[in-house]
Amino acid sequence: MGLLTASASFARYTVEGKPPDNFWEFAAERIKSFSFRDIDDTVDEYSIGWVSVQSMFDSEFAYASHAVADYIVLTMRIDERKISAAVLNKFARKEEERIKRERQVPKLSRNHRLEIKEQVRQQLMSRAVPVPAVYDLCWNLADNTLFFFSNNKKAQAVLEDFFKDSFGMTLVLQVPFLAAGKLVDADAQDALERLRPAIFV
Amino acid sequence: MDLIDIIAEKKFVGQEFLTWLWYKSEERGGAVCLPGAGDIQVVFEKHMLLEFGEGEAQEKLICRGLQTELKEARTGLLMGKKLEQARIRLARGDYEWYFTLTATLFEFRGVKVPKTVESEDEGDGQAAVEGRMLERIGMLEEISRTVDELFRMFLTVRTGPDWEDELRRVRTWLHKAAEN
Repeated sequence: MGLLTASASFARYTVEGKPPDNFWEFAAERIKSFSFRDIDDTVDEYSIGWVSVQSMFDSEFAYASHAVADYIVLTMRIDERKISAAVLNKFARKEEERIKRERQVPKLSRNHRLEIKEQVRQQLMSRAVPVPAVYDLCWNLADNTLFFFSNNKKAQAVLEDFFKDSFGMTLVLQVPFLAAGKLVDADAQDALERLRPAIFV
Repeated sequence: MDLIDIIAEKKFVGQEFLTWLWYKSEERGGAVCLPGAGDIQVVFEKHMLLEFGEGEAQEKLICRGLQTELKEARTGLLMGKKLEQARIRLARGDYEWYFTLTATLFEFRGVKVPKTVESEDEGDGQAAVEGRMLERIGMLEEISRTVDELFRMFLTVRTGPDWEDELRRVRTWLHKAAEN
């Protein structure tokens, strides 16, 4: 459902904040600083960063630039090691049973069980394969608007934070009332503020 | 007002726009005159989502089917349900888009953009790839701009002195269409 897929879904944002004068250098430097770092060969649980929209493996933009005419096109890639609650509980309970048998005690203290659960979580996490997710965006520099190609609320919240970290500018979701404020003239602004729901029946 | 409050308190703006756009599209058999651009085609089809109430008490009504079968959706509107999502076919000039528009967040879903000469150029060179990308961005921006232009039309009448007359016409359309 991304920028280049046959069927696209997107939310619209405005980009608020003043970009620096040397914008293209600034953008290139920030994209590099916040580019995606692979965690396949580490034990890190989470990684987020920018990659090329044409390949999730191109975090150095070697094959395609992030700059296309007056647009910046990027993919936000998130890799995350995940363990389901059911799997974690199963292995934590298994380890508890093993320790109880070994020590020949009928039950373990709550603190001990929490400790076991955390150890098991770390073991499972180090064995889990990072699950990738990619979300495209297209930033129109001429009018400071941005299309984010996902309707997932969690992904949108992550984007808003990560974009702010990366570029120091704020994204504002253009819900109808905010979009309306930019479309009507000054005279209609007051009327817009005073609108109350109409009865259609 | 922060965004969460705006969404909660002002969601009616998007829902009223979508309802008005449905009326407007049927007023002249799908043709809507866009100021400065002339007639475009706006057709509501196949899929609609209406909702009623808030939070846990919220009811949703999904209507699917051919255009003639959207009677259920009109009846829903007459019962006070609000139009939250609609699948729309929009034709402007030589091009045609299909998309679902959501009323509360103004999101575009399942957008199918028109095929163009450039988009069918299968070249793998960097220039060809960038050309296709720009073409696609242009098509997505055009549908976004067109929806904004329709929204501006709605806002002009909604905040102007003619709203009561327009509202009467929408009510008449709704009652007539639900009876047929």
